[in-house]
Amino acid sequence: MTRWFEDVTIDEPFPLGSHTFTEAEILAFGREYDPQYFHVDPAAASQSHFGGVVASGWHTVLVGHRKMVDALDAEEVRLRDLGQEPGVSGPSPGVNRMEFKSPVRPGDTVTYMLTVTSKRPSNSIPGWGLLFNSLDAVNQRGETVYHAELVGFSKLRDFKMPRRLAMLQALTKVPVLGKLLGQRS
Amino acid sequence: MNSITADRRHFEDLVVGETVNLGSVKVTREMILSFAREFDPLPFHLDEAAAKRSLLGGLASSGWQTAALTLRLLGDGFLNKIAAAGGLGFSDLKWKKPVMKGDTIWATATVAELRRSRHHPQWGIVGIDLAVRNQRGQPVMTMRLANLVEARDPETGMQAQLVQPYDVEQGGGQ
Repeated sequence: MTRWFEDVTIDEPFPLGSHTFTEAEILAFGREYDPQYFHVDPAAASQSHFGGVVASGWHTVLVGHRKMVDALDAEEVRLRDLGQEPGVSGPSPGVNRMEFKSPVRPGDTVTYMLTVTSKRPSNSIPGWGLLFNSLDAVNQRGETVYHAELVGFSKLRDFKMPRRLAMLQALTKVPVLGKLLGQRS
Repeated sequence: MNSITADRRHFEDLVVGETVNLGSVKVTREMILSFAREFDPLPFHLDEAAAKRSLLGGLASSGWQTAALTLRLLGDGFLNKIAAAGGLGFSDLKWKKPVMKGDTIWATATVAELRRSRHHPQWGIVGIDLAVRNQRGQPVMTMRLANLVEARDPETGMQAQLVQPYDVEQGGGQ
């Protein structure tokens, strides 16, 4: 998130934009990452229960991730333009749940929406907070394409490092000592 | 009858506990940059200098790239050998360690769960545990996938409905 942990609002949907999936990109993604016949071969796909070629669920998810990166980037620019300092996000530890609900066919347009459903300060990493996010993808007919529950990190603006911890962190930056301390923890 | 999947293993042929070695893939600098440009354009996946300054300490692949490369191994090594009928999703995807430039990742798939679909007697659902490690044997990613598989005998599925009232069905797969 480009917002500081303290500024993140719960249950406020944040639109990430839309993407129209062409047959060419569905087939290209399938050939590279998910070469099952209903993702790569339109003739063979007609024999499947889908009745034609459909996008790999992972393709729809990766495009959703790209939309999220772009939207958060734009939000960062917007905040800077308002004279505010954007927050800092950290690497994601994972995805709790991903449900593929309906297939995406060539020509379908998928709209993505991000909602932070809860947050709490991290127990293991001082100065950071955990964000629990829902990402919902919906097609042009209003049908849910997928629903995801993601976990992310966001930095605390008002965090003051306790002195003992700050000293320990400084010590781990000394090459040999850092290794020894790292082994202990 | 589906001529593509007719000769493949069906739901009834799968056994819980079966583990498949999916092989390995080396993650090169070029692969990291091209994936990041397309799906995850963050500085520490795109720019070696920025990556060195980041928490990761060097050029690392997007966690989603690790997942996509594993998906490819799973397709070649397992899903294209069974009568797979689409993914239902996954749970508990954990990125445990970054995959750095030059790392080789290798994956195994274990059949963790088998159940009949309650609403669709022609299908069963297979739960697959994916485990991905780097060349030092350290875990980099784990997850549980759910995938539809065609059943040979839909009739058995009709009976299974009666004894599996807990079966929660989701969607039609992707």
